[in-house]
Amino acid sequence: MTTIDPTADLAAPAPLISRKQIIILGRLGLALLLLWGWQEGAETFGSVFFAYPMDVVRRLIEIAGNGQLVTDLLATLRVSGIGFVLGCVGGVLLPFLLRRSKRWTDAIEPYVLMSQGIPKYALAPWLILWFGIGDLPKLVIVTTVVFYIPFFNVFAGIRGVDQRLVRMARIIGASETKISREVIWNSLLPFFFTSLKVALPRAVGACIVGEFLVSTEGVGHYIEHARELSDTVGVFAGIVVATALVLLVNALVEYLERRALAWRPVDRDMAL
Amino acid sequence: MINGAPLLEVRNLCKRFPTRQGRAPSPWIIRDLTFSVADREFLTIVGPSGAGKSTLLNMIAQVDVASAGEILFQGDKIGTADPKAMRPGLDRRVGYVTQDDNLLPWRTAIDNVLFPLEVQGRLDDKARAHAQVLIDAVGLTGFERYYPHELSGGMRKRAALIRTLVYDPPVILMDEPFGAVDAQTRAQLQEDLLRLWNLGRKTIIFVTHDIAEAILLGDRALVLTRQPARIAAEHMIPIPRPRSVKSFLTLPGFAELYERIRAEVQ
Amino acid sequence: MNDSDAASPTVDEAPAPAPGIRWRTHIDRAIVLVLLVALWQVGSMVLGVYWLSTPWATLSRFVTTLFDGELIRQSAYTVEESVLGAVIGGVPAVILPFLLRRSPILVAILDPFMVGGYGAPKLALAPLFILWFGIGLESKVALVASVLFFIVYFSTLTGVRALDAKLVQMAQLVGANERQVARHIVFPAAVPNIFAGFRIGLPYAIGAAVITELISSNRGLGYLVQVGAMNFDTTQCFVAIIAATIIVLGAGYLVDATERLLLRWRPAGDMLTDAGGN
Repeated sequence: MTTIDPTADLAAPAPLISRKQIIILGRLGLALLLLWGWQEGAETFGSVFFAYPMDVVRRLIEIAGNGQLVTDLLATLRVSGIGFVLGCVGGVLLPFLLRRSKRWTDAIEPYVLMSQGIPKYALAPWLILWFGIGDLPKLVIVTTVVFYIPFFNVFAGIRGVDQRLVRMARIIGASETKISREVIWNSLLPFFFTSLKVALPRAVGACIVGEFLVSTEGVGHYIEHARELSDTVGVFAGIVVATALVLLVNALVEYLERRALAWRPVDRDMAL
Repeated sequence: MINGAPLLEVRNLCKRFPTRQGRAPSPWIIRDLTFSVADREFLTIVGPSGAGKSTLLNMIAQVDVASAGEILFQGDKIGTADPKAMRPGLDRRVGYVTQDDNLLPWRTAIDNVLFPLEVQGRLDDKARAHAQVLIDAVGLTGFERYYPHELSGGMRKRAALIRTLVYDPPVILMDEPFGAVDAQTRAQLQEDLLRLWNLGRKTIIFVTHDIAEAILLGDRALVLTRQPARIAAEHMIPIPRPRSVKSFLTLPGFAELYERIRAEVQ
Repeated sequence: MNDSDAASPTVDEAPAPAPGIRWRTHIDRAIVLVLLVALWQVGSMVLGVYWLSTPWATLSRFVTTLFDGELIRQSAYTVEESVLGAVIGGVPAVILPFLLRRSPILVAILDPFMVGGYGAPKLALAPLFILWFGIGLESKVALVASVLFFIVYFSTLTGVRALDAKLVQMAQLVGANERQVARHIVFPAAVPNIFAGFRIGLPYAIGAAVITELISSNRGLGYLVQVGAMNFDTTQCFVAIIAATIIVLGAGYLVDATERLLLRWRPAGDMLTDAGGN
């Protein structure tokens, strides 16, 4: 029997730079590379097409200082928020209402699917015709964009509810409302929160885009207005604000979700 | 035996998963395992369910590294401690029928069977004819164009089996291939395997936790201990071939052998 | 030879759906359609044609512009922009995960940038692209490409990552080299996810083309809507919107049909039953 070296095949000693550090370094490197690329782009293509990073920073400070940034952000958030709430309320209520009647559900199902194919932004000019330039056209667009997200999630969630639980509840004598509230709602909660999580950033994004077409205020308006004036720095600055806004909203809902569902394993793959 | 030397030799094989820095050494899964396999021998390895048996096969097939010890194939040392130097399947000399059939879901049955030949660039008419012979031999005739999800569990096992046979590796490892099917299907699969093996005797190392299966199929049976696994006993199986799967209980010597091995496996 | 296990569905899926849709549902749907059209007609009569065109006017204008080629021509612009953008954005998005497959470190390095790109509102870039490329084809293609890229990247990445390592091992055991593994194992395994990515991304892609046309264009369906609104010609608006909807739905159907054709090997329960695809 050979003597076995107890140190044989121990894991190799820790390398100088850990994997984690390599990744962080790599990310920093890539970020710097992109910034450098931006600077180079500005120099190569000229200030008509590209704004220098420093100019963009200066502009951001400027609009933060003179209140423009705050005004536009509030305008966008206001409309996004209301549209988000309306869209979610509709998107959540409708499946529950439809649950009561399979006949109605089958009847309108194809139309709901078809309506989802309508490019919502294409409605904007027509909505402007109706409501003029104000909050309402944007609101309608945001609401319709948001609506489908919880609608399909909740709808699928209701369908996916364990029918045995529902049957059991019926046998016990629970009313349909009680069943909706107790069995279905609780089974649905994860789907519901996921769809909210996805919908809010989309709402903000949709509002910004809506503002391109119809607005006198808001982050999207700022971008489009700048473009019309060939104010390249403004366009870049506006896009930075828009991107930051949506990413922040995204991060916020993720944070809230983690806090609220800390006891539950979060399914990361449901992002799409 | 060819030239008196065994085809495959395992000497003092040891295996444990790498110990992380600063932790206590991880336990040995296999320790000081030594045995050999002769050319054209059907060797069965019995042992309690646990990681050891599959790990052993993985090392022979070169999809896992040994911690210590040697593996020799036709006299050449093949075991290596360097994961990057592994040669899975040892250049197609070692076939491996795993527990899961691992059929490619997007290929039909016949395309799955032909897959190794396609990869090896040996796909010609002769090869196709050979594949068809194997398909007929296991009763999959008519199901060639079916997708795996359309086949029953037993049929998928058969397809996986002939997929390994089709490119004729001299050594075939089998890791509890019939474990996950019902008793009747299993008996049928065992019959098919024995018949195929009779047609062209290869070297087979067959791992199972089912003692009856080990006796029924093998020329020789090795009994493995629990972790750290080593050889507890070795039994020649003198039951003459061809063996009847259906009436295995009445095979001469079966009962005594079964009792003896059962006691050892405890 | 006695084959005790004839081919049968291996897993007991949910009970088979009722054969076809009942005729009553068809009638229900027809009734709903009639109701919707009636509502439309009433609305148009109450509010006035300038605000809401009538169903009949919309239909006849649709047919007219369809047959005189105008609608087809404008639709073709929008479709062209979408297809070009889908290819330019989609192809690199599919290839990248395969290239990165062997290097999880690179994937990890890229991850925050990709996630950021996915989360950021690409449509907000529309004015920028118009600034850069003008009101022609390129600005629309650029936007469609950026929208689709991230969606398809993540779908494909999921597919490549979810790959069953045992299948790769099996291929290696029978002698496959890296290229063969990528071609025979990784790629087929990821195809369903690639399709899912395009399926989900298509409505956004076409929407992106339309939206850019709305902001600034001289052709395309978005342009038609915009001009219609400016001329108080709501009929034109509706015709263009309906055409765009048909394109979105048609493209979705095409992707689904192609997927069904190519993915016949999938067990029935695997098909994404997601009705809308968000």
